[in-house]
Amino acid sequence: MGNRKTPRFQLNEKQLGYAMVIPSLILVIVVVLWPVAQSFWNSLFDYRLNDPARSQLMLDSNIDLENYVDNHFYITKQLEGLESAADSDEAKSTVAAIEEGVNKYHSKLLSNEEIKAKVEKVDKLLMNFQPVTNPDLKYTKVDNDLAADYRKALKSYEADLVAIAESSGDEAVAQKFEQTADLLGSTSETILESNFIGLANYGKYLQDARMWRSIWNTTFFTVISVALELVLGLGIALLINRAFKGRGLVRASVLIPWAIPTAVAAMMWGFLFDGQSGIVGHYLEVLHIIPDASWLLSTSEGGMFSIILADVWKTTPYMALLLLAGLQTIPNSLYEASDVDGANKIQQFWRITMPLLKSSILVALLFRTLDAFRVFDLIYVLTGGGPANATESISIYAYKTLFAQQNFGEGSVLSVIVFLCVAIISFVYVKLIGSELFAGRTK
Amino acid sequence: MNRRAGIGFYVFLVVFVFLVMFPFIWVFLTSIKTPGEIFSSFRWFTNNPSLESYEAALTNRPLLRYMLNSFVVSALTTILALVFASLTSYALTRLPIKGKGLILGLVLAASMFPQIAIISPMFNLITDLGLRNSYLGLVIPYITISLPLAIWILATFFQKIPFELEESAKLDGASPFQTFRKIIFPLAAPGVFTTGILVFIAAWNEYLFALTINSDDLWRTVPVGISMYQSQYSIPWGDISAATVIVTIPIVILVLLFQRRIVSGLTSGSVKE
Repeated sequence: MGNRKTPRFQLNEKQLGYAMVIPSLILVIVVVLWPVAQSFWNSLFDYRLNDPARSQLMLDSNIDLENYVDNHFYITKQLEGLESAADSDEAKSTVAAIEEGVNKYHSKLLSNEEIKAKVEKVDKLLMNFQPVTNPDLKYTKVDNDLAADYRKALKSYEADLVAIAESSGDEAVAQKFEQTADLLGSTSETILESNFIGLANYGKYLQDARMWRSIWNTTFFTVISVALELVLGLGIALLINRAFKGRGLVRASVLIPWAIPTAVAAMMWGFLFDGQSGIVGHYLEVLHIIPDASWLLSTSEGGMFSIILADVWKTTPYMALLLLAGLQTIPNSLYEASDVDGANKIQQFWRITMPLLKSSILVALLFRTLDAFRVFDLIYVLTGGGPANATESISIYAYKTLFAQQNFGEGSVLSVIVFLCVAIISFVYVKLIGSELFAGRTK
Repeated sequence: MNRRAGIGFYVFLVVFVFLVMFPFIWVFLTSIKTPGEIFSSFRWFTNNPSLESYEAALTNRPLLRYMLNSFVVSALTTILALVFASLTSYALTRLPIKGKGLILGLVLAASMFPQIAIISPMFNLITDLGLRNSYLGLVIPYITISLPLAIWILATFFQKIPFELEESAKLDGASPFQTFRKIIFPLAAPGVFTTGILVFIAAWNEYLFALTINSDDLWRTVPVGISMYQSQYSIPWGDISAATVIVTIPIVILVLLFQRRIVSGLTSGSVKE
């Protein structure tokens, strides 16, 4: 390997091998493993994109310093004003107690040097009417107990002031009290308590009827459609495993349903199944196979029937292709020999074809089962999970929770459940298939 | 099992092909009807074919833009996946490194991961990077689908090339990387091309990431764009039929041109040869 003229840096085979593998490995870790781990992590939080107090993952309590410091400045001033405006001694002493309480908690908060420094910085920025853009400065971690106590105290102060405002006879005074009560209330919102809830979300979903229904729907869909695809695909593969004219045409017509986007196929079937202008519904009604054309998409059974039919149409050809390739590796001499021995076709099928086709069938089943269990686009476009969630798969339920409700905590629980189911299914198949899965790929 | 094909067999073939193609045939026949006729009768052939639906499909929604978006995203995804996957599969099949089984297992596992378990952190990541409603915003998540698929298929193609070639290249003084670049890669080119077609189709068909990440109409891809033709109040079946025909034509051409390659790529992973 030496290069006599220009000695250059060269990798040996092993180093080159690692250098070639590492970029892909990093990519897989960043775009697949990290997101799945992050989903697990998200599922442990009460994490909602549409709720400012819970739109971040917080293991510890936090304070939104920008708003807190701003509010605190006004609180002290307003409370002093209230003390002089109060029309009863009782009210006066309540206000004084509140003032004392706020001061106590505030100085407790500032007893932490780091927070104190941050508060001073934020104060300076606010004085100059500048926004706090640095997230490290805007939010600061605070002791969980202090946060909970302070938040609770502010809430109770708010209630106290509202009570005074309601009992006060003077409208102007009442208004002042109400204003301060609002301010205290909004200040309590700047104290964000930890939204780490551990496995509580899982407990909730394990008792959720809709979750179990969607698991059942997904399992039913997977088992029925994959079984139909296997039987039909095997039948077609056996029939077309011979020399005939027009192989190219058959191959192309088989590939097109596989190649078109599932969403496009779902739109087409949506049209064919339509209650008013759908041809499939119309013919099935005329033939008295279904009660009426609208049965297909407006009833639970019809909806399930429709998605299974559309899936069988789209993937049976693919299954047939895989099995045909497997059939073609079986040597003809085996059949000839068994003919001589007097075996009939059925015996040949069970004794020769099936055993030799077993690994092809298992590999095809593995990929099909996983695809079917993850089903999303077909159902989302064709029925949207309806009618009345009768065709809702677990992926659809997770998607709705994640993006329609913007609830990333609970949605992540559902996506983790999908992940665990898929892991179990793969584990079972890989055990069945064994090391043959990797045959032909490594030395 | 090379039995002779009889007349009954051809009848079966015709029925089979007709059943498989029936949705396309019906959708095409619908697309050339006038909108009024679609809703009033189940007649197969229209007496006055019209292109009204095609015009509506192209003007009511930016269908050509969807196709451009899908093309750019799928092409970028394919190129990226092929570059990384051909390096990795070469190393996995032909170079003496440790942990091959583990790496292949990881790749296979990655291809089995449900997209729904990846979508929410990926959505946050793309949002934080400011890449929502852009091509790159889809290319990054599409690596999760394309890279494991490409590695898995390419590995079988690299495995089939005779190992003697490397031995002689080594004897002639080629460095390991030169062997890859000048000897093995050109020989694997048909396999790389086949893998490219399959990755391209997979990226073209993806729905979940495209639905959530590129939500702006101008950045939608074909599958998402098509599914948005239906509104809450009415379903314009004429437009939908015409749009379906338009987006299916490129796929039909692709399949007709490369059907042998596609079949060899699809079956390479499932059959031992």
